Amino acid sequence: MSSAPASIRDRGSYLLYLIPGGLLLLAVILVPFGMNIGISFTEWSGAGTPEWVGLDNYTRLMGDGTFWASFRHNVGLVVAMAILPTLAGLVIAAALFDFIGEHFGARHAAVLRACVYLPQVLPIAVAGIVWSWILAPRDGALNEVLRAVGLDSLAQNWLGDPDFALWSVMAVMLWIQVGYPVVIFMAGMQRVDPSLHEAAELDGASWWGRFFHVTVPQIRPEIFVVLLTCTIAALKVFAPIYVLTRGGPGGSTNVPSYYSFQNFFEKTQVGYGAAIATVLTALVLVLTAVFLRVQNRGER
Amino acid sequence: MSKRLLAAAVAAVLAVAGCGGSDGASDPNTLKLWHYEGPDSAMGVAWAEAIKQFEASHPGVTVKFEEKGFEQIQKTASMVLNSKDAPDILEYNKGNATTGLLSKQGLLTDISDEVAKRGWDKKLGPGIDTTAKYDDRGVMGSGKWYGVPNYAEYVMVYYNKTLFDQQGLAAPRTLDELTAAMKKFVAAGVTPLALGGAEYPAAQLLYQLALTQADRDWVDRFQRYTGDVDFHDKPWVFGAERFAEWLREGYISKDSAGVKAEDMGLSFMQGKSPIMISGSWWYGRVQAQVKDFEWASVPWPGMTAGSSGNLWVVPEGSKNKQLAYDFIEITMSPAIQDKLRDAGGIAVAPGETPVTDPKTKQLNDDFKALVDGDRLAFYPDWPAPGFYDAQVSSVQKVITGQIGAHEALTEMADYYKENTASVGK
Repeated sequence: MSSAPASIRDRGSYLLYLIPGGLLLLAVILVPFGMNIGISFTEWSGAGTPEWVGLDNYTRLMGDGTFWASFRHNVGLVVAMAILPTLAGLVIAAALFDFIGEHFGARHAAVLRACVYLPQVLPIAVAGIVWSWILAPRDGALNEVLRAVGLDSLAQNWLGDPDFALWSVMAVMLWIQVGYPVVIFMAGMQRVDPSLHEAAELDGASWWGRFFHVTVPQIRPEIFVVLLTCTIAALKVFAPIYVLTRGGPGGSTNVPSYYSFQNFFEKTQVGYGAAIATVLTALVLVLTAVFLRVQNRGER
Repeated sequence: MSKRLLAAAVAAVLAVAGCGGSDGASDPNTLKLWHYEGPDSAMGVAWAEAIKQFEASHPGVTVKFEEKGFEQIQKTASMVLNSKDAPDILEYNKGNATTGLLSKQGLLTDISDEVAKRGWDKKLGPGIDTTAKYDDRGVMGSGKWYGVPNYAEYVMVYYNKTLFDQQGLAAPRTLDELTAAMKKFVAAGVTPLALGGAEYPAAQLLYQLALTQADRDWVDRFQRYTGDVDFHDKPWVFGAERFAEWLREGYISKDSAGVKAEDMGLSFMQGKSPIMISGSWWYGRVQAQVKDFEWASVPWPGMTAGSSGNLWVVPEGSKNKQLAYDFIEITMSPAIQDKLRDAGGIAVAPGETPVTDPKTKQLNDDFKALVDGDRLAFYPDWPAPGFYDAQVSSVQKVITGQIGAHEALTEMADYYKENTASVGK
């Protein structure tokens, strides 16, 4: 060892620092994930001996209408939790940065940013319960307000009507999510060289022109990060569905993670639940890989 | 260095993953006990007293109590009981998909000998002991004893007496009287029945309506698989059609599909809805919180959803089984049973001490009448794992008009058939 070149010794000592994280990754992520994959090839009620069934759970999954419906609902949630918050976040961040920050000072912009970010800080259980009160059909705040201003016909059974439930959950999720991109994008805007904006302004570019041709391209890495993390969050969304609707009414807001949970714990079909979780994880991994590849290509 | 590092790494992974560490040894002077009743509930109050009495009668023994959540135990019991961290005794949910499943898998102790020796079987009436015994398939009602309940619960009709008096209505003791009362409230512009369609209450109501036409044989076929189950027979069709009719007539709000059980209870307790059909688990809370109006309750006409409360079970891995049995003995003693009753619960083996509170007396008297009449019909979601979600979903669809009453019965039948096919396997 003592005769080894210095660079190898250095590398060895660096590796030492990776051990704690590596061990945690192994114990908390990789081992359980491996076990989950193993369980997905079995029929198991959660106790006793699992019975090996090969690909049966996956075959069943392919023909399970509830599973596919839950994925369709997930598409809606990707829109509500990733695409719309990213778009809205861009506009709000730019408005706070360029307009409020410029005209009213950085402190006002920071206060407003904190207000928009607040839903991210609230525990989801609290936010969910408060929203279920707001959206309650009979004396919920939203319907009360609509009735008070004479818009009785717009009052709905927001979470209890299958035609509205998913839209209502999407709206709540948009409210929760939008603060995250705002904070990330505002941080990104701070590192954009002001001379680029000045040059564009001298060339006669409007605010929208500068926004589209300077700000957005400059903070592209942040946009990718937000889109990636929010899409993953949308795909594995569980807590808001559990608190707001429990997948109802009539399965109209069911999502794969909740469906997996139902199979794990309610139906005690642990093998089938594990298969759903495995497919969901595989999908998240594939999407992540695609995102990162596209981002790398964009950077090149 | 690298070998030592590797060994340390493997040990750390095993420890973090929960595969190593403790050898599972248990202290013979400690009774490890879990339950999920809130400290203010009747059971919480009674069992805190039982722990005190246990420690007083077992010098040198300490009760290590851990308060758990209902869902926490429901979701993780099988995994915990399969591990070295199992308690010596715990409160566990009764029914085929819970205690039945664990008993079949050998995770719970067969306590039949202890039950006979200590005479617990004599203290529990018919209908109450059903949930304590399970056969080899894990089906309740016969076979070996795997748990002991010491409280009970049942579904009844809560009504706002003040509003009933204003409408000139008497206590609704029959289905016709109940229907007539609801009709009168609708005529007065009030939606009479509070209902939570997002959770258990709506499916329970449909079952309650079916139970008005049912008998013990019907309940046993559905709950204990003693014969064929036809979801389009007279009781089920009556229940589903009557439920749909109540929706049509405006007795139930069409908005109730998204209403949670908690909001149903609040609607009744705040005086917004004059009637609530739900379980005795609301009783203490209604009694404590309703101050603005007079309320009362009447038993459901016919058989009713209800059973023993949850069970004390002794895990097969318990190291202190005798201490666990001693604790159950104390919870079954007249002193603790009376304490439970006086705190607003339903005692299954009350002592001779008279009840002072008239409402508590009525609650317990009504329950006794149900047991004496063999009218407890368990809960509709018990026969199949996951039936709860399936029923909630089907009944929600009826409320929102997505499907009709008969289609809901077909959905339930399909689920029941599919998910009871593996019972005992």
